[in-house]
Amino acid sequence: MVNAMKGLLISCDIPMAQFIINYNASLPPSQKFILHVLDNTHIFVQPNMGEMIKSKISEFRDQNTYEKPA
Amino acid sequence: MSLFISNLTDVTDQSDQVNRFNPRTGGHTGLITGPVDVSAARYESQRPTTATHRPPLSRSSPTTASPPMAGDGERGRPMKKMKTSSSSSSKAFHMMDEEDFNDYGNDFDDDSGEREIKKRDFTQLELKPDHVNRPLWACADGRIFLETFSPLYKQAYDFLIAIAEPVCRPESMHEYNLTPHSLYAAVSVGLETETIINVLSKLSKTKLPSEIIDFIHESTANYGKVKLVLKKNKYFVESPFPEVLKRLLRDDAISKARINAEDSQGADTFTISKSARELQSGHEDLLNGAELAAVAEERETHSFEIDPSQVENVKQRCLPNALNYPMLEEYDFRNDTVNPDLNIELKPQAQPRPYQEKSLSKMFGNGRARSGIIVLPCGAGKSLVGVSAACRIKKSCLCLATNAVSVDQWAFQFKLWSTIKDENISRFTSDNKEKFRGLAGVVVTTYNMVAFGGKRSEDSEKIIEEIRNREWGLLLMDEVHVVPAHMFRKVISITKSHCKLGLTATLVREDERITDLNFLIGPKLYEANWLDLVKNGFIANVQCAEVWCPMTKEFFAEYLKKENSKKKQALYVMNPNKFRACEFLIRFHEQQRGDKIIVFADNLFALTAYAMKLRKPMIYGATSHTERTRILQAFKNSPDVNTIFLSKVGDNSIDIPEANVIIQISSHAGSRRQEAQRLGRILRAKGRLQDRLAGGKEEYNAFFYSLVSTDTQEMYYSTKRQQFLIDQGYSFKVITSLPPPDTGAELSYHSLEEQLELLSKVLNAGDDMVGLEQLQEDSDDITNLKSRRFAGSMSAFSGASGMVYMEYNTGRNKQGLKAKPKDPAKRHVLFKKRFG
Repeated sequence: MVNAMKGLLISCDIPMAQFIINYNASLPPSQKFILHVLDNTHIFVQPNMGEMIKSKISEFRDQNTYEKPA
Repeated sequence: MSLFISNLTDVTDQSDQVNRFNPRTGGHTGLITGPVDVSAARYESQRPTTATHRPPLSRSSPTTASPPMAGDGERGRPMKKMKTSSSSSSKAFHMMDEEDFNDYGNDFDDDSGEREIKKRDFTQLELKPDHVNRPLWACADGRIFLETFSPLYKQAYDFLIAIAEPVCRPESMHEYNLTPHSLYAAVSVGLETETIINVLSKLSKTKLPSEIIDFIHESTANYGKVKLVLKKNKYFVESPFPEVLKRLLRDDAISKARINAEDSQGADTFTISKSARELQSGHEDLLNGAELAAVAEERETHSFEIDPSQVENVKQRCLPNALNYPMLEEYDFRNDTVNPDLNIELKPQAQPRPYQEKSLSKMFGNGRARSGIIVLPCGAGKSLVGVSAACRIKKSCLCLATNAVSVDQWAFQFKLWSTIKDENISRFTSDNKEKFRGLAGVVVTTYNMVAFGGKRSEDSEKIIEEIRNREWGLLLMDEVHVVPAHMFRKVISITKSHCKLGLTATLVREDERITDLNFLIGPKLYEANWLDLVKNGFIANVQCAEVWCPMTKEFFAEYLKKENSKKKQALYVMNPNKFRACEFLIRFHEQQRGDKIIVFADNLFALTAYAMKLRKPMIYGATSHTERTRILQAFKNSPDVNTIFLSKVGDNSIDIPEANVIIQISSHAGSRRQEAQRLGRILRAKGRLQDRLAGGKEEYNAFFYSLVSTDTQEMYYSTKRQQFLIDQGYSFKVITSLPPPDTGAELSYHSLEEQLELLSKVLNAGDDMVGLEQLQEDSDDITNLKSRRFAGSMSAFSGASGMVYMEYNTGRNKQGLKAKPKDPAKRHVLFKKRFG
């Protein structure tokens, strides 16, 4: 029996994939969103999570970015 | 079987946007569809290698609009260039003073419609008809932009450096800022208000905004009216205007500091004396001499004496933010008959370079010596400036250095450049207490020896008494930026000096205490432009590069785990890709170019791991003196030792002129100073002059690599650290593909097994192992920010750390056992706690 699942394919570089996986692991089971880790750079997640992941990543990136104080 | 419904287009769009607005990280870490190397390639093209600034990082979508910037203080900042058309750089403009500038024209930004707020708009300034020939733009907010390609650049630069603070000096456009402090410095080197305004308006492309004229008037009106003079070991506040003195005395702090010599007959009487006053100015070439007749006239001077311990308070009260009568400190050394002369001349072979001459002329502009700070890059010959100053004043000179090693170096420099006799120079450190001989002389010591508050041995107590009682002609202070302010205060209150000269390469501190120096020592007299020195071949032309090493999957997974938060640093430093890049660079420079390489690592664990794996010698805090000397000797002379690993002990004091490549694998958080000091290790000019000049055989003869693991905190620190060098005009080239993809097992940690083994080694190391190396002399400004524990490090900071031991060991010395001062780093942990 073929199971069809709607989802979102994320492809990114290796560290960011790890970041997403790590974030997913830190959530309680009910909120986990990764459906399948396909390989080092591809992850299949629940369809509505795109925005959230993006905001998490940009938050993480901002922490690692220095902005010259005005 | 699952079905992938991908809405990739959406994601790509977004990430593209991210890329455009936040190129620094977006390109690499964004949700990019496509292989990583493609993004890296795109990245390189986005960051032109010659760009002197990182692209502005402001985001522009309304939801993530950057927070309102605080109004500019003394150093109003953000605008990077006057360029207005490029869409990415104009993004940075939109932040302040919305109301003020709303009504001005829109011409600045028709290319970015989404921008709702305008930055500063200067289109209303009137352009002079012959503006092409004039080199600078002066803006109403005090910022000045100088075109370095203008034929008048040299003159304009000399003038600007005297009146304004350099903010950023890339290759073709410099930014300066007029501040009250900088104008104060200008007045103190003899420039008059009218001169400043005249020259500025002559050089400016536009009519000078009235705000600037007002500002200059306002901030210089009161300068130079009050002088602080040291006569016969007493401090006097002098002024030709008794009413000014009265005004000063109305202030509580100052009236308390006053010493009434003649049984306080009332506050209204001042000691009156005659003194010659002369005016002098430079920049005649720009003013046709007319306004600049030197005036010498007899004037009555009124003065009152103040308490030496209150001098600093009084000075601070007089600064612009309080009473606004900043004091000039001058020393008329030629007419000083009280203090004995010192027989010291520059040797004929000591030929000061043009910029050294210039900095000295700023100091001795009117035949007197002024106190102040001279800023020259590392390796540009600061010590010659110091020695020359001492030779001009020809009085007793107290020279303060940061540690025992540099004390020796200074003593050596004095002997090298000047004709001073050996008996007139004495060193005073914990293990080297040379007695003063003669009435005048040069004493070289450390800040700590002078400021040390504890009990001293009899010998040093005597010497300190001598230092305290003597009236010093010149107080020469090396590396003024490193010394904590309170230590300065102590030193300055202990020693009575007519004139103070501070020398430094990096006038930045992470704790922003730099402004303290303005009243502790004096204004900045001169600051050299690094790029000009490079162009003229006085310092090495360094290619700076930031090497981006992606984290491997396993290391990054561990890095992200919360339980590893203490090991984050170890993880990103030990990143196998970084190791491979480092190994590749070492091989390349050793084998292909025959260079001498220094590898810096602050993290001791990494230092050991790297050095062991690559089988290279290393030096860190615990390395004994003999071992250090042996390694350094081998590095200098042996063709087999071309690479050494240094921990942060090598940042300042170790002088290794042979090295011309630096690879930095880990660093001390975001310290801009460390970065600049490390770069300074390779700045000493190498090779023949004609090869070094532009178009010569080797355009770059020194290399500075900073290895950074991407997506980690290191990125943040790395950018922050570079700011100082970027402001000096250096550009950092980003290298993303090192080692080249085709390298395989010939570099270490190629296979996954090896990498995993390394990972487990890092994870199993104790937390104390992987942390930063804690040096005793480590009273750096960043660590101080976190915890202000000076107690132990005070003495160690100056290299005087053996002192405590010496006191205890005196008994044993008598038995003929020559006790060597113990290296504090070798102490057992238990004792470290006690003495450390």
